[in-house]
Amino acid sequence: MKPQTKVGILFLVAAGLVVVFALALGSFQPFSNSHELKIAYNFAGGIEVGSPVRVMGIKVGKVRSIDFQPEYKIPDTGEEVKLIIRVSIDKKAWPTLRADSRFFINLAGVIGEKFLEISPGSLEQPELKPDQVVRGEDPPRIDQLISQSYALAGKVLEFVNKNEGSVMETIETMNKLVTNFDKMLKQLEKTSRNPEVHRIVKNLSTIMEDGAFFSQALRSPEGIKTMSLINDLIRRLEPLDAKAIKKFLQEEGIRAKLF
Amino acid sequence: MTLPLFLWQSVRATFTAPYRWKDILIQLEFVSWQSLPVILFCLCFAAIVTIMESSFHMKLVVQNDALVPGFAALLILRELGAVVSALLLTSRVGAGLAAEVGSMKVTEQIDALRMLGIDPVRFLVVPRLIACTVGGFILSIIANLACLYAAMVVSEIKLGYSPGAFITGMRAFVDFQDLVFASIKGATFGAVIPLISCYFGFRCQSGAEGVGSATTNSVVASSVSIIVLDFVLTYIFSHFY
Repeated sequence: MKPQTKVGILFLVAAGLVVVFALALGSFQPFSNSHELKIAYNFAGGIEVGSPVRVMGIKVGKVRSIDFQPEYKIPDTGEEVKLIIRVSIDKKAWPTLRADSRFFINLAGVIGEKFLEISPGSLEQPELKPDQVVRGEDPPRIDQLISQSYALAGKVLEFVNKNEGSVMETIETMNKLVTNFDKMLKQLEKTSRNPEVHRIVKNLSTIMEDGAFFSQALRSPEGIKTMSLINDLIRRLEPLDAKAIKKFLQEEGIRAKLF
Repeated sequence: MTLPLFLWQSVRATFTAPYRWKDILIQLEFVSWQSLPVILFCLCFAAIVTIMESSFHMKLVVQNDALVPGFAALLILRELGAVVSALLLTSRVGAGLAAEVGSMKVTEQIDALRMLGIDPVRFLVVPRLIACTVGGFILSIIANLACLYAAMVVSEIKLGYSPGAFITGMRAFVDFQDLVFASIKGATFGAVIPLISCYFGFRCQSGAEGVGSATTNSVVASSVSIIVLDFVLTYIFSHFY
């Protein structure tokens, strides 16, 4: 075999291997089976180009690029966002992505590698369109939380130091209050065991029941009618005084000592 | 002739015509085709050792070797493939070049070339430099990917990871640029070998002892240069990862 042929074979093999490697890594996709989506964030929590994208825990794509866009605004809401993450998502998983899908940045694995998790949307919502821009859920900033916790702890300590006397007094008062409350509860428990108290409570209960029955009876049509008659009667009796009644009784031949 | 002057003359001659294509092809065949079996053989064993050692250490530290395919692939692509290939190439090609040029120097063939008005650097170094640079580039690609294949086979047999799991693990860590950087390393190391070897050949002292000494020194100097250059290139590439 001529040297030229051997060298040519080596070149072809090397070129073929490069293509195979690029296909295996997904860097070169002549027959793309995925759609792209742009997800907007203000904080990406350490996600990188090449990080996996998962829908319901299944890997369906990866992060293609991360672009800084300081003047970008979400078209629908007008919200300012600084980062646009472009991801590719398998066409098979695309129908599960709806307008109400949510886009989280999560941790996985023993070394905590980052991935983009997409929650499927509801069927009532329309499907997302390829290359559409959606707003992602910014992951919590651990550094900010720690810093805020430190600041809060510092303020609490400062407050305690400044008001050491009054804080102690408050605590002592609360202690007394709790002690008294405890005593009251014990006393109440003792009282509740007394048979006389039981009887009083029972009678009270009966009175309440009777009262409830009476008031219910008064609300019935019969009760309302009776009350109305009594009212009429009282109105008629109002103009009558002792002299008029005495005269009436004398005319009727009845002797009575009135009032 | 000092080393900087020799390097300058070699590089200048490399970037100026005319080229002796036939000689370049013969050298390329010698560097790449004939070196390929030994490089593939050695690198496959290196891949096996890498996988087994990575698994052992990962299990020791985190009780889990799920990340071994990714880590091992990255290690192979970034360091092992290019450096081991270059060191093997040094021992095979570099030693041969130093001995060949040294013998020509001792037998006054280089002086004869000068007498004929032929630049010995252009005549001897340039074809070898081009052939070794191109050969190093091709060999690093083939050797790296063969090494990855060997690692994949060992992962399946020894660790129980299927080829699909290996490629998935690899994709989490490896990027296409790793192969590009490995190829650049291969080409750079390939260029270093003929430059150092021919330099020692040109400086060869008379006698068989002089040729032996030039050969030994060229292999040692090339190996050290490759290790140092590997550090420099890794440092430069680290800004692009």
